[in-house]
Amino acid sequence: MLFYSFFKTLVGQAVTVELKNDLSVTGTLVSVDQFLNIKLDNIRVDNESENPHMMSVKNCFIRGSVVRYVHLPPAAIDTALLQDAARREIQPSTAAVRGA
Amino acid sequence: MSSFIPNQIFTTSGSLIDLLDKRLMVVLRDGRKIIGFLRSYDQFANLVLQDSVERIYVKNFYGDIDRGVFLIRGENVVLLGEIDNIKDDDLPLTQLSFEEVVRMRKEEADDRQKKERLRNQLLHNHGFSVDFLDTDLY
Amino acid sequence: MSTAASPAAPAATTNPPVQSSVEEPLDLVRLSLDENIYVKLRGDRELRGKLHAFDQHLNMVLGDVEENVTHVDLNPETQEEIVRTTSRKVDMLFVRGDGVILVSPPAKAV
Repeated sequence: MLFYSFFKTLVGQAVTVELKNDLSVTGTLVSVDQFLNIKLDNIRVDNESENPHMMSVKNCFIRGSVVRYVHLPPAAIDTALLQDAARREIQPSTAAVRGA
Repeated sequence: MSSFIPNQIFTTSGSLIDLLDKRLMVVLRDGRKIIGFLRSYDQFANLVLQDSVERIYVKNFYGDIDRGVFLIRGENVVLLGEIDNIKDDDLPLTQLSFEEVVRMRKEEADDRQKKERLRNQLLHNHGFSVDFLDTDLY
Repeated sequence: MSTAASPAAPAATTNPPVQSSVEEPLDLVRLSLDENIYVKLRGDRELRGKLHAFDQHLNMVLGDVEENVTHVDLNPETQEEIVRTTSRKVDMLFVRGDGVILVSPPAKAV
């Protein structure tokens, strides 16, 4: 759930989602769910002429499984906090696996 | 459907609810584009589209064909976007008959395939293994 | 998979006291937090950057990233292979874990 929580803190920020089919969509992050499906508003597509189908679209829901990268705004991210969260996140799951 | 919306266990439901009954562009993993009205969905992003059309784009042209009702399995969905009717009425593209764009797309594909085949043959001669993955890059 | 822990003990008491050792694969990644790592991805992509976060799927957030993509083309006349790498820099990048092939810690990444 680390990245679910992480993306929730980025709601309202401008991000670029790069898909596995090389489509890049930039927009305002509206929402994210536990599968890391992403909703963007006021979208803009890199290289629109190669992706004419995106010209009629104003907002979109991207399925998490087709995402390759999300380009993030560095100013919106507290990296120290994020690293702490990552350390804390991984420990309970490790203990749970050992206990099982 | 409506019985499980009130107790939203899955947040996917929350994020798709405002797209219900809207006209959507759905991009599938095989590259197809379907436009239709979203009537139902679930936590896997399985979708039911009504009055759907398949739209094919070739260069600056596009063509539509009626496809009726679709139930799309979620894993095949790449993205779905709400159609902005103002933008959609004012596309810098020319609509042709579906048959015409299918013909154009075939020409384009044949051309590409010829180049691909040559390239793959050369790669093969150099001992590379060549996978024939035409569209499915996922 | 399970090594030292007694199977009967509840999870809470089996919490390993020291977390600086490497007992399972992901511990190696945990020890790379705040370090520069090398990541190989599907689609002939490679990343180098500072690891800020990861989870059990190997989803990651990397900072000051350099991405290299390798393309192989053939010159149709000479039949020579042309290997091109395109490189770009990204300030902050979330990487989805399902594309990750391997992660290499700092020692090998330099």
